[in-house]
Amino acid sequence: MTQAPDLPLWAAILTAFFLLAGSLITAIGSFGLVRLKNFYERVHAPTLGTTLGAGGVLIASMICFSVLKGRPVVHEVLIALFLTITTPVTLMLLGRAALYRDRTEQQPDIPRDFD
Amino acid sequence: MTPQHLLLLIVALPFLGSFAAAFLPTRARTQATLLAGLIAVVGAVGIGSLYPAVSQGQILLSVTPWLPSLDLNLTFRLSGVSWLFAMLVLVMGALVILYARYYMSDEDPVPRFFSFLLAFMGSMLGVVLSGNLIQIAFFWEVTSLFSFLLIGYWHHNQSARDGARMALMVTGAGGICLMLGFILLGQMAGGFSLDTVLASKDAIHSSPYYPLALALILIGCFTKSAQFPFHFWLPHAMAAPTPVSAYLHSATMVKAGVFILILLWPVLSGTDLWYFAVAPIGAITLLIGAWVAIFQQDLKGLLAYSTISHLGLIVLLLGLGSPLAAVAAIFHTVNHATFKASLFMAAGIIDHETGTRDIRKLGGLWNYMPITATLAMVAAAAMAGVPLLNGFLSKEMFLAEVLEDHSGTLIDAVLPWLATIASAFAVLYSIRFIHQVFFVAPPEPLPRTPHEPPPWMRRPIEILVLACLLIGIFPAATIGPFLASAVRDTLGDQAPAYSLAVWHGFNRPLFLSLTALAGGLILYILFGGRLNAAKASPVVGRLKARRTFEAVVERGIAIAGWLHALAGTRRLQPQLRVLMIFALAAAALPFLFLGYSVGSERWTGVDPVFALLWLIGGSCALAAAWTAKFHRLAALILVGAAGLATCISFVWLSAPDLALTQLLVEIVTTVLLLLGLRWLPKRQPDIWPETRMPVQVLARRGGDLAIAIIAGLGMALISYAVMTRPVTDSIADFFTRNAYAEGGGTNIVNVILVDFRAFDTLGEITVLAIVAITVFSLLRRFRPASDSIETPEQQRVQADFDRRHADREVGDTVTDALMVPRLIMQWMFPVIITFALYLLLRGHDLPGGGFAAGIAMSIGILLQYMAMGTREVEDRLMVLPINWIGIGMLAAALTGAGAWLFGYPLLTTFFRYLDVPLIGEVPAASALLFDLGVFAVVVGSTVLVLIALAHQSIRTPRAARPAEPKAGEEQG
Repeated sequence: MTQAPDLPLWAAILTAFFLLAGSLITAIGSFGLVRLKNFYERVHAPTLGTTLGAGGVLIASMICFSVLKGRPVVHEVLIALFLTITTPVTLMLLGRAALYRDRTEQQPDIPRDFD
Repeated sequence: MTPQHLLLLIVALPFLGSFAAAFLPTRARTQATLLAGLIAVVGAVGIGSLYPAVSQGQILLSVTPWLPSLDLNLTFRLSGVSWLFAMLVLVMGALVILYARYYMSDEDPVPRFFSFLLAFMGSMLGVVLSGNLIQIAFFWEVTSLFSFLLIGYWHHNQSARDGARMALMVTGAGGICLMLGFILLGQMAGGFSLDTVLASKDAIHSSPYYPLALALILIGCFTKSAQFPFHFWLPHAMAAPTPVSAYLHSATMVKAGVFILILLWPVLSGTDLWYFAVAPIGAITLLIGAWVAIFQQDLKGLLAYSTISHLGLIVLLLGLGSPLAAVAAIFHTVNHATFKASLFMAAGIIDHETGTRDIRKLGGLWNYMPITATLAMVAAAAMAGVPLLNGFLSKEMFLAEVLEDHSGTLIDAVLPWLATIASAFAVLYSIRFIHQVFFVAPPEPLPRTPHEPPPWMRRPIEILVLACLLIGIFPAATIGPFLASAVRDTLGDQAPAYSLAVWHGFNRPLFLSLTALAGGLILYILFGGRLNAAKASPVVGRLKARRTFEAVVERGIAIAGWLHALAGTRRLQPQLRVLMIFALAAAALPFLFLGYSVGSERWTGVDPVFALLWLIGGSCALAAAWTAKFHRLAALILVGAAGLATCISFVWLSAPDLALTQLLVEIVTTVLLLLGLRWLPKRQPDIWPETRMPVQVLARRGGDLAIAIIAGLGMALISYAVMTRPVTDSIADFFTRNAYAEGGGTNIVNVILVDFRAFDTLGEITVLAIVAITVFSLLRRFRPASDSIETPEQQRVQADFDRRHADREVGDTVTDALMVPRLIMQWMFPVIITFALYLLLRGHDLPGGGFAAGIAMSIGILLQYMAMGTREVEDRLMVLPINWIGIGMLAAALTGAGAWLFGYPLLTTFFRYLDVPLIGEVPAASALLFDLGVFAVVVGSTVLVLIALAHQSIRTPRAARPAEPKAGEEQG
């Protein structure tokens, strides 16, 4: 079985690019989590990581292992699929909980009620 | 069938029968009798068929290796003595079972009775047939246990419960002494097998531990055989149904002590110590038992004290230490069983027919039941030692023995007097029994008009009385050969010449015997009338053994309570602190004595990324501890983060299996803890608002911090020392080499779990199941702290909102808010199940396995509970966690046991490749079935805990509860 150091140069470059891009985007998301001011802004930042960031890492993984094993390795698609389906649930639950609390406590500067 | 197998079968059958009888319907009286009777008869025939070999002096051994290295094997051994006792147990058992069929009322759960009785019979056979001291002690305790259950059979009856408890405590404590004595004996003899012990008389006698071992064994035997001063439990055991009294408390169990004395007679007796410890106790018991029996007003009480007296007689004979006395002891054991059991059965019939056992109220029964009366008279005459009955023969031998000089001390001079007096007493109470019950007119009309019992109820008595007569008239032809083989077995080349003739001419024993008969008769004529007025037995009645026993027990309970008050606590923190301090101390000892040194391996340097990971993980752990008191949710999240760091470390160090399991466990733990958070008492942010924190609180917290730091530091030091040492040949190599070759899997972790260490895994899932059921039982009756009973604020606000709007129902807000998440969580359910099955199936070769799969599966169910709420999930989804646990345990155990069918040891994996159409070659190992069991247990346990927590949320606890009506319920 071939190991990662045996990757051909083009594949290595591609893999590295996607891996680095994904990581960087995730890092930016995390940075945003720290920097942004209130909850409603902050809650968006980490989604960078679960969408684009994860996407980059998964693509890198697909390229790397497809080349190493000499056959298409695409089960990362499933990971992407489940991430896409489930991440919004977290966002939704967090957002609703925060909104609910702030409304009950009648905090200023909360998103408007559309009722 | 070889004799060895037969022996094993004879001991096993009663236990199997006991198990089967327990499952019979409550009213199946006749079926239970048939089952029990059949087993007793089959056993008796089996033992009988082995007699030819035994009569030639052969010793049959059946050895099943268990721990050969410790000289502990399942050994059954049939010799002359054990043949006699086994026959006694089985024949008496058969007769008692027949009798019990008619004695037991239709309203009693009779199969339960027979279940206990059969188990007792099995354990009694175990005692007499075991060829190993430890095994004897084990079966000995089992007889105590079933005696307890049988005495307490009518458990609605206070005296039955008290009697059962007393018997268990006395005989159980004696059993422990016996066990200790046996261990010492085994040490002295150099082995626990009976043959080894019986062959090492000199080593035992010369050992400095001989007195201690003897004392312990004697205490065991004396408690079981109701010798003074431990005799008091036997009369109280009479609360048992009469068949039990006849079987356990006169014929067999109380003879167990005597049996051990006979069995070990060759190696233990023959010293002064033996003589002075055993003979006087026997003599005192003989006299006291006979004396107290005279004053009993309860038929069974009279028989119980008479039994004590006769046991004393046998013990005295064994204590004398001469071979002839031992012969008499064996002979009298058999004789006593026959006449005393028949008397008990007669007493049972009288009780049954008249409704009373009080001698004062009974009378004139001769007119109503002449046959039973005749039988009882013959048996009572045997008990009194009237010539031409078996009791006479052994008593004659006894009297001949006490006339001999044994030690040249005062005892020699006293014994003939004492024996004659006790014999006269025996005559007196026998006459009183017969005369009062059958002849004197009753002072007032009987509670019921009696008549003869059903013929089959009388049959056992008839057989026993016939035996009394036959042995009494033709001793040499009937009991002779069996007695001879028992004597030869016990005494070996010491076996004396003895004569079993009825007539030995006019000699001194006969003179004593006749004196006793005449004396008893005269005493009855003089004092018999006044005995009915006796409330307690004079002189001895003052001893109040029972009250002493109660006082001792109460003092014991008081001391335990005091210790508990002193050292016990219901608070978790001190318990944890004590635990930690002990662990610390235990771990510190090697440090102190052996020193500490770092290994020779070089420092490898730090990988910055890994260091960063651990920095984050460590910070999270510290922060979790910091916030644990005042912000539990934050603490929980931080704990989760620390767990994730661990998880990534596993991946980093190439342990994907551990990482996977860790990840799944983290998820479940976090969710379950989250569910539990709501029920914790509210935090108290500031307990000391005005003053400063008290010093002792500071000291306590500081101490705890110190303990934590020292423990952590110690672990770190130990780990460091281990990790800096070179890896030597460890068991890990074995696993890597053999995982595929022998376990048939490439996932070494999984192969270890389901194959190499499968027995551990079996134990672990058992523990898991027990923990889950414990948590469930605790939470089922959980009363939340008063400040967390109230519905949470958010729920109240939402419910208010829903109520204020006409078009909404309570709960709509939550349903709306969760609509999309719920849909997605429901979609995920089949996906997670598929994932779990995938983990399960691939577990043997790739990361996964039953444990991980089980957790994944329970996460799926957890998610459903969170998405839909308890009620809705349980409307749609039938989760029966107890069944999961049960089926899982069964699957694992049966898969393991399946290896036996193919002649392999427990839990051996079977492995091969199967050719499945379409899919191709598929590895199939029986370990998968075992893993399936693990999977089911894990799912069941996790879900059971989840359900216990989830059900809290739908209970509506009352805020202020009045005083609990049943105080006992909460502890129950």
